[in-house]
Amino acid sequence: MRKPSFTSGGDLSADVVIVGSGVVGGMIANELVSAGHSVAVLEAGLRRPRGEFTENWRNISFHNRLHSDFQGIYPQSPLASAPLYFPPNDYISLSGPDGDAFKQGYLRIVGGTTWHWAASCWRHLPVDFQMHTRYGVGRDWPISYDDLEPYYCRAEEEMGVSGPWDVALQSPSQRSRPYPRNMIPFGYADRRVGEAVNPHGFRLVPIPQGRSVAPFGDRPACCGNNNCQPICPIGAMYNGIRHIECAERKGASILSESVVYRVDTDETNRVTSIYWYDRDRNAHKATAEIFVFACNGIETPRLLLLAANARNPNGIANSSDQVGRNMMDHSGIHATFLAGEPLWFGRGPAQSSCIVGSRDGNFRSRYSANKMILNNISRVPPATEQALALGLTGDALDREIRRRAACGVDLSISLEPLPSPGNRLTLSRTRRDALGLACPDIRYDVGDYVRRGTKAAVEQVREIAGLLGGTELHVTEQYNANNHIMGGTIMGANPGDSVVDGTCRAHDHPNLWLPGGGAMPSASVVNTTLSMAALGLRAADAIRSRLAGKTS
Amino acid sequence: MKCSDARHGDRLRILVAALSFGMAGSLAETASGADATAREIGRGRYLAIAADCAACHTAHSGLPYAGGYGIPSPFGTIYSTNITPSRSYGIGTYSEADFARVLRRGVTPEGKYLYPAMPYTSYTNLTDADIRSLYVYFMNAVKPVEQMSRPTRLMFPLNMRFLMIGWNWLYLKKQRMAVPGTATSQVARGAYLATALAHCDVCHTPRNFLMAEIPDRNLGGAALSSWYAPDITPDYPSGISTWTDEQLRLYLQTGNAPDKAQAAGPMAEAVEKSFQHLSGRDIDALIAYLRQVPPVGDPAYKRPRDSFGAPSHMEAAIRGSRVDTRTHGELLYSRECASCHQPSGKGSRDGYYPPLFHNTATGAPDPGNLVSVVLHGVRRNIDGRIVYMPGFGPESPIDHLSDQDIADVVNEVETSFGDPEVRITQEDVRNIRNEGRFSLSVTTERMVSLGGTILALALVSLGIVLIRRRRAARRRL
Repeated sequence: MRKPSFTSGGDLSADVVIVGSGVVGGMIANELVSAGHSVAVLEAGLRRPRGEFTENWRNISFHNRLHSDFQGIYPQSPLASAPLYFPPNDYISLSGPDGDAFKQGYLRIVGGTTWHWAASCWRHLPVDFQMHTRYGVGRDWPISYDDLEPYYCRAEEEMGVSGPWDVALQSPSQRSRPYPRNMIPFGYADRRVGEAVNPHGFRLVPIPQGRSVAPFGDRPACCGNNNCQPICPIGAMYNGIRHIECAERKGASILSESVVYRVDTDETNRVTSIYWYDRDRNAHKATAEIFVFACNGIETPRLLLLAANARNPNGIANSSDQVGRNMMDHSGIHATFLAGEPLWFGRGPAQSSCIVGSRDGNFRSRYSANKMILNNISRVPPATEQALALGLTGDALDREIRRRAACGVDLSISLEPLPSPGNRLTLSRTRRDALGLACPDIRYDVGDYVRRGTKAAVEQVREIAGLLGGTELHVTEQYNANNHIMGGTIMGANPGDSVVDGTCRAHDHPNLWLPGGGAMPSASVVNTTLSMAALGLRAADAIRSRLAGKTS
Repeated sequence: MKCSDARHGDRLRILVAALSFGMAGSLAETASGADATAREIGRGRYLAIAADCAACHTAHSGLPYAGGYGIPSPFGTIYSTNITPSRSYGIGTYSEADFARVLRRGVTPEGKYLYPAMPYTSYTNLTDADIRSLYVYFMNAVKPVEQMSRPTRLMFPLNMRFLMIGWNWLYLKKQRMAVPGTATSQVARGAYLATALAHCDVCHTPRNFLMAEIPDRNLGGAALSSWYAPDITPDYPSGISTWTDEQLRLYLQTGNAPDKAQAAGPMAEAVEKSFQHLSGRDIDALIAYLRQVPPVGDPAYKRPRDSFGAPSHMEAAIRGSRVDTRTHGELLYSRECASCHQPSGKGSRDGYYPPLFHNTATGAPDPGNLVSVVLHGVRRNIDGRIVYMPGFGPESPIDHLSDQDIADVVNEVETSFGDPEVRITQEDVRNIRNEGRFSLSVTTERMVSLGGTILALALVSLGIVLIRRRRAARRRL
């Protein structure tokens, strides 16, 4: 087992240095340390135990709970801010027609943002890799679904995904291996909604999930706490911390509160070393054969821009001027209504089933696809707020809360933005973090493709609500963020208009990989984590081959 | 030395009448050789399950019977051997006589003496017919695994295996077990199952300073690494007198006697690998036998283990208040335990998460089982359904608690749900985590007290060896 070496001054040297300890960095660390390489992981944020997050969640205010404050329960290093919204900390300054739609929630903490995800493990459709060829919009990937498919399988196995073994319920059904576990059984609400809407072409399917109803190895069975977001209190849901700890047990060094800010390159533009500040603001140097930046869709482009040097004056990996451009998220809307019968959403995991009838079709040449998640987080808090607003008290209040909690439906609708260079992350000229490093500014416009897709989605929602005897239908008018950050280090075959190649290696630097959501050239309408993990595992394979070639 | 008790105990000398019960038909009609062998194999397979050979000879995620399972002892870890019919690494070259000698006398054909971690002191009671069935099963139906098992290296002087000659002379019975002549055939069958096959005594009977079972405390409860195998005699309050037959049956067949006890650690393994596969008749025979063994009792027990505790109302009282009045242990209970066992401690209605009050793990005067569960968790595979709780020690996949944290949360659980007089410290947790129950000081004490005894044992062993050699030499002449 090879381990990183440290000097007395705290500088380090390893075969591979990974910046970012989330699901992608953790999986790559685990792959490479398992292959016998020395690996160090630098994480800007704190390292805290699960129980602390659980306790913070239990003590959160009703207001914050009602409005889904998933960020606030995670303590932040004073030297590594992440967005907060209750109240806003303005770490990221948003602008543009839909700046407010880009209020992303991501964590800078050991283990990363999958601490507070919902564990949806979707694959892109094969056609999602060829948006330009098939529909004349967006970009094609330089790799195909078939290239990524084996890595999707591996990622599903790493995360212990439960998904439908029934091919008719799969989206997509092109699979070389079955899901490691069969789907989480539908709850009553999933079943009833499916019965109502499926005859009308809406196609309700189970969400593939990184959790299971029976223990998965040493991961316990889900017991339905129903607060996957913001924290699974019992670790039944996959969290990135699993792979970080796995890599650590095999010899990887995990350095928390280590903020990378500078990158040195040589005459061939190889990355020779990177520098970080420790918690006492002392600078240290890390040297390695291979560097991986997997800091999330916002922090990776930010770091590349921050670390501009004499040879790369526009930023690391940025000869194409595409770093920080093409920012995407599944900008979404919510539709709520009261069904004509009790459905009792809120039993089991936070997400369980999803309507995917409009995931694909020829319409995608004109407007965005969508998917509609049946939000399965308990409806008691919104029901309570609504009942209180009616001025009720006593038994009448109790009855109304019960009725609204039982009949309440919340559809979380995701739309597909197209990559657009104008949707751009830049470095603030005025705002700096505690270390004096520039904060990110982001300009965002969801675009007419999404706006047209929204109109279609709203029509579909009206039909769905009608089929369920819905009243009090309300559709949000502002787009909301879904924390699926993509595009900022976009993948492409042409180094002139993209940042990384099909293995997520930077076109400009022979030994720098930038795997994760930032690489994704098309958004599809599905949550990004499984695709990010698959890209990470593919990058790990490329890195392993590179290191093997070197030693042989 | 006070060791003659073991050889001339108060056990009676009537041979087991077990064959007449539960095995009728084994001497049945003459059939073709293949049928007879198939029947013999089936019989042997059942006996291997009843004797729970796999518990020790199959490592976690290892191949069946390939060995390598580690059994901790104060003197180092004893690794089980490959007992597949591999001719190079297993027992493939054994004759039936060799096989019988290993099972009954703890000596391999190469003359190597086994440590009594192998329960040959129990298997010495096996009938000839059962040994034959086991032999036929292992030789014909177990897949050979061509793999060397990990060698056992105990600390000096116990690395000198010939010392076991003296130990065997002192503690290995020469005669088969006996049951009272008045015993029913069901009790006789239970006695045979419990003693010769399931070897209940190996864990549940305390041992003396030479690791030999103390006969007059048979099945009276014993420490076992970090776990505690409780008194299973009909004693009140420490034994099984408050258990109904149905509760004992459920416990043995599923590992869960609701509102009473759940099997974890080595007992979960015994239920998973052995008891759940036994016939209902054999389970009932075991229970009938346990009901009539002499009560032993433990003065540390003031009342039955499952009679303590009540639901907690702590959580409701503190949420929303500005001042957190909880102790660190209460906070940890809320963080780490309440999501499954509920803030009330009632567990889940289906019993998958058991209540923490009226629970033998929390009501025992010895907190070993509770600490072990918190450290190592619970895992039982019952008929394909896995009952699982993760551990919270350093290797936890969920959350790592420090030794102080574990002491605090265990003390909180004892206070709220169990025996409030039980108190443990960070050091207790560290000792249990590091070396099982054997703290360094105890080990050292044991080693010192062992010094003289070992010397004596060595002399006895040497003496026996010399006498044998002389006899052998005389025979050769």
